[in-house]
Amino acid sequence: MGSFLDFFYALANYSWMQRAFYTALIVGIVGGIIGVFILLKGMVFLGQAIAHTAFAGAALAILLGIEPLYIIIVFGVIAALGVGYVNEKKVMKEDIIIGVIFTFFMALAIIFITLNKKYSTDVNAILFGNILLVSKLNFIVLLITLGIVGILILGLKKEYYLITFNSEIATVSGVPVKLLDYLLLVLLALTIDVSLKAIGAILVFAMIVTPAAAAYQWTFKINKMLLLSSIIGVISSIGGLFLSYLLNLSSGATIVSLSTLIFLFSFLVSPKRIKTGFTTAECKFCRHVINGESYCLDEPECRALDIPHYHDDKGIIILKKDIRPLSTLTRHKHDKKEEK
Amino acid sequence: MQLKQESNKILSKDHPEVIVCLKDVSVAYGKNIALYKINLDIEKGDFIGIVGPNGSGKTTLLKTVLGLIKPIQGNINLFNQQISGKIPREIKNKISYIPQFTPFDKNFPALVEDVVMMGRYSKIGMFRMPNKEDKEKVKQSLKLVKMDNMAHRPIGHLSGGQQQKVMIAQALATSPSILLLDEPTSALDFKMTKNVMDILKQLNERYGITIVTIHHNLRIIKSYTKRVIAINKTLVYDGSPNDALFDEIIEEMYI
Repeated sequence: MGSFLDFFYALANYSWMQRAFYTALIVGIVGGIIGVFILLKGMVFLGQAIAHTAFAGAALAILLGIEPLYIIIVFGVIAALGVGYVNEKKVMKEDIIIGVIFTFFMALAIIFITLNKKYSTDVNAILFGNILLVSKLNFIVLLITLGIVGILILGLKKEYYLITFNSEIATVSGVPVKLLDYLLLVLLALTIDVSLKAIGAILVFAMIVTPAAAAYQWTFKINKMLLLSSIIGVISSIGGLFLSYLLNLSSGATIVSLSTLIFLFSFLVSPKRIKTGFTTAECKFCRHVINGESYCLDEPECRALDIPHYHDDKGIIILKKDIRPLSTLTRHKHDKKEEK
Repeated sequence: MQLKQESNKILSKDHPEVIVCLKDVSVAYGKNIALYKINLDIEKGDFIGIVGPNGSGKTTLLKTVLGLIKPIQGNINLFNQQISGKIPREIKNKISYIPQFTPFDKNFPALVEDVVMMGRYSKIGMFRMPNKEDKEKVKQSLKLVKMDNMAHRPIGHLSGGQQQKVMIAQALATSPSILLLDEPTSALDFKMTKNVMDILKQLNERYGITIVTIHHNLRIIKSYTKRVIAINKTLVYDGSPNDALFDEIIEEMYI
């Protein structure tokens, strides 16, 4: 078990620790950014399939005795294009295809592993990952790839935002939707592939989805969501690195557990959930507390966030006909026009 | 010189500019013919309602005009320019489209103003950020549909009718000449339907925006549109909505 000071001593003096630190930082940032669009587009399962194909690639590489990274990247990109094609042409229901592809590649991976007569620690390293064992080559590839991924996603942020909002409108306004969809899958595959060694094939996808899912709980603004998602990504990856070093735990598992904790916390105290269930707010005009689930339909300044209502000339709340007021709401009227 | 300009003005008043022209356009999905030999001129300032039974090709017609579906036959002219293959960007920016309403995630991270800004994206271009002019245009568009007081609300928290108005504002953000709408009021109650149609009418009358809308409610069609097109794979009727012939054709088509 390392101590608190050991960690910082290693960070200051050893290149493997510095590599681990920067890997955590970059994976946290870029995973958080790409995760936002994967989440909003509803492609979470597609990504999971890609992660498992990458594992099959790694198993093959170990069997053949080559550097796994190259084959992983080739496998990942092919899987991304395949998944994208299936998704575009609607050959079959998405979840069936993913279920089939996903298990097939796991089967392949197991065959490759069992064909390999010698026991290899590499398999373990790729399945579970170890951020402290990221090689120099791996780190350089990761740095370049994730740099490109981050720049492309942020550069095309507007377009991806529009596609996730409504892909038909995106097509009409001249966004090359199909091309960008494929690009997103390839970028996702690359992100997964280069992070595989650090986080592990089983868990790598959590680095992409969990921070975005946590960020989603906090905001209605896309820029804020992107920022929050990468901050949460960095907190969990660097915090996980620190904790795993301190407690001598698996780095990938610690990082993912930490981000899941942040997600759980975000989910429980999410302002989005609270707004739709428990908030009470006072109306500036009629000074009554109301409760419910949508905005005032009429007065822009009205701070009553909840039951659909509007105001008459005297500022009295008029509720829509089928809404039952709470006991706290004493002065109100019902919409007579609608009752007719 | 002045005289010439005057006479041009008069001429253009008598013969309004044709902005969309379809000639013998046929569309097929595989072996199924969806539209057969459609001939259609849409003039500047028109307010057109498109009616027809389900599966009659109404949406296909709009999508063909937008270049989303390629016809197997016939010519399409947009703003006096023959279209073959991709629609050039300067023409695309003059045409706005509001697809059929699909409810989205209540917590989708977008404020009303963000959604309207999406309408500007095609003008802004890739790898660029919106500038002051874009933001100003967003405010104006929201004002046109009287939703400027809701600019900072999450889009998912609005009612269906309000969301539809935001979508109209989004379509207006590129200052289009023509607005194509696919059943803009299908999810709305009568009061909200009238509200949305009033906005469209105002856009048409005050700002001269050409409007083409698919609609199922004949009462609304009759009280709002200037011209109605009935299609059932082919063009069945093209004329005034208050003509006796139209009623006959509608009766025939829906029975």
